Amino acid sequence: MSDLNFDYTLLIPELILAVAAGIVLLADAFHTELRLNRTLLPGFTVLAALAAGLTSLAWLDTSDDFATLLAVDNFTAFFRVLFAFTLATVVIGSYEFVAREIRHQGEFYAMFLLATLGASVMAASQELLTAYIGLELLSFSLYVAVSLAKRDPRSGEAGLKYVLLGGVASATLLYGLSLIYGSAGSTSYAAISETFAAGTANVELPLLLGLVLVIAGLGFKISAVPFHMWTPDAYEGAPLPVTAILSATSKAGAIALLLRLFSGPLLPVKDDWQWMLAVISLTTMVAGNLIALQQTNIKRLLAYSSIGQVGYMLLAVATISDASASALLLHLGGYTVTNLAVFMAVIAFYNRQRSERIADFRGLAETNPYLALVITAALFSLSGMPLLAGFTTKFILFQAAAQDGYLWLVAIAVVMSTISLYYYLLVIRLMYVQEPDGAPAPDPQTGRLDRPNLRWRTSPASYAVTAVLLLGTIAIGLYATPLLEAADDAAAVLFPA
Amino acid sequence: MIPLENFLVLSAILFALGFYGVLARRSAILILIAVELMLAAVSINMVAFAAYLDPTRFTGIIFAIFVITVAAAEVGLALGIVLRLFRERASANVDEANSLKW
Repeated sequence: MSDLNFDYTLLIPELILAVAAGIVLLADAFHTELRLNRTLLPGFTVLAALAAGLTSLAWLDTSDDFATLLAVDNFTAFFRVLFAFTLATVVIGSYEFVAREIRHQGEFYAMFLLATLGASVMAASQELLTAYIGLELLSFSLYVAVSLAKRDPRSGEAGLKYVLLGGVASATLLYGLSLIYGSAGSTSYAAISETFAAGTANVELPLLLGLVLVIAGLGFKISAVPFHMWTPDAYEGAPLPVTAILSATSKAGAIALLLRLFSGPLLPVKDDWQWMLAVISLTTMVAGNLIALQQTNIKRLLAYSSIGQVGYMLLAVATISDASASALLLHLGGYTVTNLAVFMAVIAFYNRQRSERIADFRGLAETNPYLALVITAALFSLSGMPLLAGFTTKFILFQAAAQDGYLWLVAIAVVMSTISLYYYLLVIRLMYVQEPDGAPAPDPQTGRLDRPNLRWRTSPASYAVTAVLLLGTIAIGLYATPLLEAADDAAAVLFPA
Repeated sequence: MIPLENFLVLSAILFALGFYGVLARRSAILILIAVELMLAAVSINMVAFAAYLDPTRFTGIIFAIFVITVAAAEVGLALGIVLRLFRERASANVDEANSLKW
């Protein structure tokens, strides 16, 4: 029997999230009996997220591996902080949206908390079963959250597609995991790594099949092409805050798991999977960016743009090394901040205009110059414009990948980044060049412009959140050192010297 | 003793049948049943590997128990979503859930 005296204080962030999720659910269910004001729920969720994020900072540089089930180390801490930040931002930026669109707010926030918990467990996993449980906790919470907008028929359809395809993907992943377990004789990362390092001559076939199935299953979760079919539908049908979580927490969690798997247990068999990931990275960035060109709904546009971004991230996983893992973590941090900036601005826009059509962004620079500025800066950052987060992080990412010999893939990634600029610029052009709806034409005689005041204000919460994210995007672009150091510390755990 | 290969072949056949069912069936309920077949294949694999390769520890068997539990949760959740869609459209046919595309 193994010793059960672990340092349980290291799990406090996860415990906070789990307990908070339970409290939010019960508080919502019994709010009449307890005479609770339901508007407190988002505030409580934000507090829990901040508490989880801050407590995970308290034990930096200490670690425990809980009998090789979970590892709490700097890598885990990096992702815990990232997820807590995402959760707090999304809840603050969208509580007005949720109050208006969602009937069961308690369930909604509880699902967010549980999804964050699942993603943290994935990032901390040291064993296949733990990784699987974390993955399913994240996915199940999101299945529910996607289909919670009961007034929107698209939400149910998106939920159905997501849950059915997600079930198939989980089964595929599990079958792959079972074959890897069969080839290695253990589910612990350390033991698998040892077995494979000693030679895989007699298990070549099941191992290869297992790798294919695992990559297919995880490829679904990060929406890599050709396993991306659910992504645009789920993004469009889900309520906007859920779309934000799907594109941030869910992606980052799956990337964390990929990093843990491919830098640890599967590293000795790198030759078997490297080309698979390179091919998937190629198809993902090409298809994501090309299909994005013809979208008319802002959520679908962002879905395909995020697929394109996943292609760049897979590039770093395919060329995994000390440098590229750290570059990937940096890029993930920059991408999360930038992407949340777009989503929070779009939520503020939706709160006022009730529309997700790209055409309705026409003249936003006239009616709300601040939001137009946030969206412009964030989209430029996503496409990789200098001075913004996207440029710095992508530059370091591509550089790290190029050093590992995948120069041709990096060249394609750069071309695809340029193509992505085109569809981002279409949105920006609509906002700045076109006149807003309802603006009268100038007087034909005098040529004077006599227009009603079309200006509108963003709410204080949206204003604050978007301002923080905008500053973050610029700060990472100009001075990425603090984030880079954090990423280096986190990546150092994966590749101990 | 039955050789390990027999179990692996059985599970591979089950997995392939399940995958075929997912592709061929149009009712959401039948697709869920097909997913269950795929998960049963995983459980067989896990238990067989545990018994033949790693008989002193129970990792694979514990894994199979978790797979069964999680699969039950998944079906409950998916049925909830199917029910919601059924209320709106009076159909559980996935071909009719086609308002979102491209």
